[in-house]
Amino acid sequence: MCNRKTSFCLAVVLLAVVLLAGALPLRGQTVPPATPEEEGKLIAVLLSDTPLKAKMDACRQLAVIGTPKAVPVLAPLLEDEKLSHMARYALEPIPGASVDQTLRDAMGKLKGRLLVGVLGSIGVRHDAKAVPALMKMLDDPDPETARAAAGALGKIANAEAAGALREKLGSVPPKVRPAVADATLACAEALLAADKPGEAAALYESVTKAELPKHFRVAATYGLIQARQAAEKKK
Amino acid sequence: MSPSRLCRGAGCSASSSFRPTQAAGCPPVTRRQFLGRAATAGGLVTVPYLVPASALGLNGEVPPNERIVLGGLGVGNRGSGVLRWMLPEKDVQFVATCDAQTSRSARVKQMVDAHYGNTDCVTYRDMREFLAARDDIDALLVTTGDRWHALASIMAMRAGKDVYSEKPSCMTVAEGQTVVETAKRFRRIYQTGTQRLSEAKFTVANELLRTGRLGKVHTVRAHIAPWDAAEMRHDWLPAQPLPPDNQVDWDQWLGPCPWRPYNESYVRGGWRGFYDFHTSCIGEWGAHTFAQCQVAIGAVDTSPVEYGYVDNPTGDGMVTRFADGMEMVLHRGDKYWRGSCGVRYEGTEGWVAVADGYPKPDVSDPALLEDSEQVVRDYVERTGHVMSHVRDFFNSVKSRRPAVAHPEMMHRSMTTVHAANICMWLKRDMKYDPVKEEFLDDPEANRLRSRAQRAPWIM
Repeated sequence: MCNRKTSFCLAVVLLAVVLLAGALPLRGQTVPPATPEEEGKLIAVLLSDTPLKAKMDACRQLAVIGTPKAVPVLAPLLEDEKLSHMARYALEPIPGASVDQTLRDAMGKLKGRLLVGVLGSIGVRHDAKAVPALMKMLDDPDPETARAAAGALGKIANAEAAGALREKLGSVPPKVRPAVADATLACAEALLAADKPGEAAALYESVTKAELPKHFRVAATYGLIQARQAAEKKK
Repeated sequence: MSPSRLCRGAGCSASSSFRPTQAAGCPPVTRRQFLGRAATAGGLVTVPYLVPASALGLNGEVPPNERIVLGGLGVGNRGSGVLRWMLPEKDVQFVATCDAQTSRSARVKQMVDAHYGNTDCVTYRDMREFLAARDDIDALLVTTGDRWHALASIMAMRAGKDVYSEKPSCMTVAEGQTVVETAKRFRRIYQTGTQRLSEAKFTVANELLRTGRLGKVHTVRAHIAPWDAAEMRHDWLPAQPLPPDNQVDWDQWLGPCPWRPYNESYVRGGWRGFYDFHTSCIGEWGAHTFAQCQVAIGAVDTSPVEYGYVDNPTGDGMVTRFADGMEMVLHRGDKYWRGSCGVRYEGTEGWVAVADGYPKPDVSDPALLEDSEQVVRDYVERTGHVMSHVRDFFNSVKSRRPAVAHPEMMHRSMTTVHAANICMWLKRDMKYDPVKEEFLDDPEANRLRSRAQRAPWIM
């Protein structure tokens, strides 16, 4: 009986909590989207001595409204252990060549996780001008860096990137090879979608012949068949 | 991976020798046989053929070769519930779990070992190490917090695993796209945990709509969660020291999200409501109810094209509109339902409403339910999807046919979640092009379709 009463009381309390939660949503703790006019203020925050959290919030807002004006202020933050990710968070969606140039410049200055992050952003932005530098990084002694470079090349997926990946597939260390293979498959898909089935088939074939886990070779086999069929239709 | 993009049976000429489904007159093909034959047919890999169970005389037991070897990633409270549904499946063997929190892996091991009566379940802490070490695992149950669902699924599929992922299964449009792309590339089976798609009463509602018994349906209504808000928190909870003995790998727990100081509340489930970790009250239930509605109206390869901003903190009453004029309205509260995760479909000749806790759907006319059992049987017969979400997944792992909650369905219904959230965050009406997958004339909204991920946790 006592247990039933306790259970009932608990249920009432729980219901009250749920209803209260519904009635009092968590307003006032958000970072509201900034207006374009506020970009100057956000840049000033990044240049000031304000605490880390405020700078991170400024980066969040610049991610939505930032323009090339913010790029020179964000660029040095890429080298800051605590703010590098949030600098990328802001930079990645800002349109314009200045962001691409900034990320390419950072490639030569960074190492480890900060570099891996920058390589990720270069891939997201499909920066074809970064391909030569990314190609070199496929041989980086740090497997994480080499894998990130492969990932970026797979997202850029132009002919130059495809060629580099295909060339390195057999020679990169086993820890890096799956990432190179994944990127090669991505390039093959892009070529197939661009109605270049012959080139796609060559890439798929390279994956089927590489020493890789079975699922890569199965994926490449399917792709190869698809590409050959597409090539046949084009004749 | 929409069903239309995959070879689903006789008549498909593309790569017919690799067809994973069971053709008429042919013996069933197991997943392992299929993979082996596919590779061998390409002249590239040699995989031994398997001995059929009947030849082994195992008296109904599933032989090891026919079992699906299952692992877990981030199995906590919700994940344990799903695992309880999975463990009794006789052709499934759960062998290992990986979690950034030691105490959670230990609880899963205890539960699994108790089920099998042994001490075999292996625990891991580093996700990459786990995926690299266990090439014996066929499929993974991904039940991390929302922030990790997509990336963990992508990493798992790249490692050759099939995936059952809890919902909401992606934090951004970009993550959803990459889940679709990866599943397609590696031909992985993927099921998102929208389990109401495999429940009879919800299926009856969907079938009433699909078969025209409600007349021309003009409006569908989808429930959103009655806690939290569409507006999200960005504050930090007070910094606390990390627990002793390296019990929590905080870097891995945060994964692709921005760094913030540790606080125990996050790892105990208090991450909900935070922008970095959650998809708001809209995603909490919308991941289910939008999926229900979009499956019902046949919109699994698209998303609404219009989102009307509502001046309240939650999105309650938001009207979204598909390209064909169909309206999907978001509702919070009990105006239309007596239970959670409700949907309601309204047509020119009737309506149906259903939510958790209903013994059967509410309908405008009782005659609509006279043949409910037959309706469900016909659905199962027609689609091959059974009334158990986990079983449907395991069936797909074996047959290689897409599961009911396949990647494209997940991605498109979650795009609706993301677009509705973005509409609320930017406080203006939105138009979306589901073909180009971008907002029209709204660069700020387009920037919110993705978030830079924290290294090394990058897609």
